[in-house]
Amino acid sequence: MTLADNSIALHEVRKTFGDNLVVPGITAEIDGGKFTVILGPSGCGKSTLLNMIAGLESVTSGTIRIGAREVQDLAPKERGCAMVFQNYALYPHMTVRNNIGYALKVAGVPKRERCERIKASAESVGLHGLLDRRPSELSGGQRQRVAVARAIVREPSVLLYDEPLSNLDAKLRQGMRMELTRLHERIGATSVFVTHDQVEAMTLADRIMLLNNGEIEQYAAPSDLYENPATTFVATFIGAPAMNLLNAEGDGSGIRLPNGTLLATMPFRGPVTLGIRPESIEIVPDGIPCRNVYSEDLGSHSIIVAEVADGQKLHVATPLCRRMTPGETFSVRFVEDAARLFDPTSGKRLQST
Amino acid sequence: MRSRLVLVAGAARIASMTRGFYTGRLSYWSLVLPILVLIVMFFYIPVALAFFWSFFLERPFGGGSEFVGFQNYGRVLSDPEFWNAMWRTLIFMVVAPGLAIGLSLILALAADRSIRISQAARNIIIWPKAVAGASIGVVFVFIFNPFLGIFAPLNEISPGIWNPRIDGADAFITVVIAQIWNGIPFNFIILLSGLQAIPDMLAKAAAMDGSGPWRRIVDLQLPLLTPQLFLTFVLEFVGTVVEAFGLIDTMTEGGPGGATNLLIYKIYVDGFKAYDLSGAATQTALLMMFVIVMVILQFRLERFVKYER
Repeated sequence: MTLADNSIALHEVRKTFGDNLVVPGITAEIDGGKFTVILGPSGCGKSTLLNMIAGLESVTSGTIRIGAREVQDLAPKERGCAMVFQNYALYPHMTVRNNIGYALKVAGVPKRERCERIKASAESVGLHGLLDRRPSELSGGQRQRVAVARAIVREPSVLLYDEPLSNLDAKLRQGMRMELTRLHERIGATSVFVTHDQVEAMTLADRIMLLNNGEIEQYAAPSDLYENPATTFVATFIGAPAMNLLNAEGDGSGIRLPNGTLLATMPFRGPVTLGIRPESIEIVPDGIPCRNVYSEDLGSHSIIVAEVADGQKLHVATPLCRRMTPGETFSVRFVEDAARLFDPTSGKRLQST
Repeated sequence: MRSRLVLVAGAARIASMTRGFYTGRLSYWSLVLPILVLIVMFFYIPVALAFFWSFFLERPFGGGSEFVGFQNYGRVLSDPEFWNAMWRTLIFMVVAPGLAIGLSLILALAADRSIRISQAARNIIIWPKAVAGASIGVVFVFIFNPFLGIFAPLNEISPGIWNPRIDGADAFITVVIAQIWNGIPFNFIILLSGLQAIPDMLAKAAAMDGSGPWRRIVDLQLPLLTPQLFLTFVLEFVGTVVEAFGLIDTMTEGGPGGATNLLIYKIYVDGFKAYDLSGAATQTALLMMFVIVMVILQFRLERFVKYER
């Protein structure tokens, strides 16, 4: 099976619950064999979209293709997808072995082959010697491994993850991120991963589909999303702290604050929202005057919250680890090719730099 | 009997949950004492007296009694009418709970899948719980009346095919149906709540694993419902032995020809109508032992119950 066979094509996929429009119509192509993350705030319709791909939720209208097949009217088992759930959803009355092997049992795989595949699948996620335990006897991380093993045992062409790491603690989560990336490289299934955590999205994804209110805000590679956000929503959703957005005015040669302070030299005329990442702001002896409001020293770098002339807030990330006293004044400079301009009313990106 | 079992099961759960919540022996005792007094007065003392009387020959209208050892037991156990009643009780104990739980399970599975009108059905099915056993009996006598009831058309086709007043089998069926009707609401609630406690995610996971709705019932829902099934099983089993009394008394009075004379009703007739107090006490003791053995056997089944969640 070539990779292109496992691509997922969504065409005008819509979902309504009663009068409530959850997904107003998504058209997108999810690349076969790649790791795609669907990212968005809670309630943006990302889990609904995943469930529609899986077949756990019906589509109101539109088509879903997996490879060459149109699947939106097929039962989940006919779509060749496997899924890892947020709260693991392990069968509590079955041993780990039977949990992993249930899909094979339903499919009527002979017992001998079943045993071998269960063992191989369990070992590939690092479950040793736990096959005869019950889920209630396992830790959260172990349960997550069982859930992953259960999903990959059928060698699915599409692997769906519904916020699988959000029940784990921070340290475990990082380890699992690494393992999931390795697993993906090894089995090469088309992976679709739903999360609200931008760190997971940035680290795992080949491509991120950022949803807001059921619509795609931007669908691009993580670095693209970070550096060239298509809208102010993307700019503020990705990155911690988020991209700074300043209301400013272009006079044809530069972007200035209402009081006339020059922020960046860009040939633009009219009201504009200027976006700049905190780490693209440098503290310099002579530049845009700022007044410190609050600062955090994180060891590796510090975050300074400052106010510019007209009271707009600015987050500055600086490798100079020093704590500033509130009220202290300093000046900054924007790294100019990192500044992005947005339309102040629509929030859309204005120019491509 | 039923309420006592519920109490014991409930008490065990609560004890593990709230250990250390109450301080001081006094508060423990003051909480437990009222129910303890009731259980002792209306359960342990009568049972103890029944065992005691079963070794004496009692006079029907009071006065002295005579110790007779195991003679009462000899008399009762050699009476074919006792064995008939015992046998009927056993059949009743298997048929009525089996159907009452089976039908409740089907209804609960359907209601849980939220098929059409299941919302309304959930409420309606529970209503019969509010009707007393004796009232159910009166209503069912009318419903199964050979000339006016629902089976009257059968008698028009072939006269005499349905008449619970003279046909023992028909009478037995009528009592069984009434008992099942009486048992469904409670079982339905227990089983439905058990089904709804199974996380939705499990059904979705099983669907992703390729398991269809019917297969999910067998592989997922029934195993996870075993605690509730076991509870209804124990309660129904014991309940049929004692609760059928109200139905039999209003519907058939044990007849026709003793066809519906279950042990619990026979004891009542022997003791309070025929004034054979010793015989009734002996049969009570035997019934008691029979129920205890049954319950012990049932609890051996508990190792198949899956409590993991």
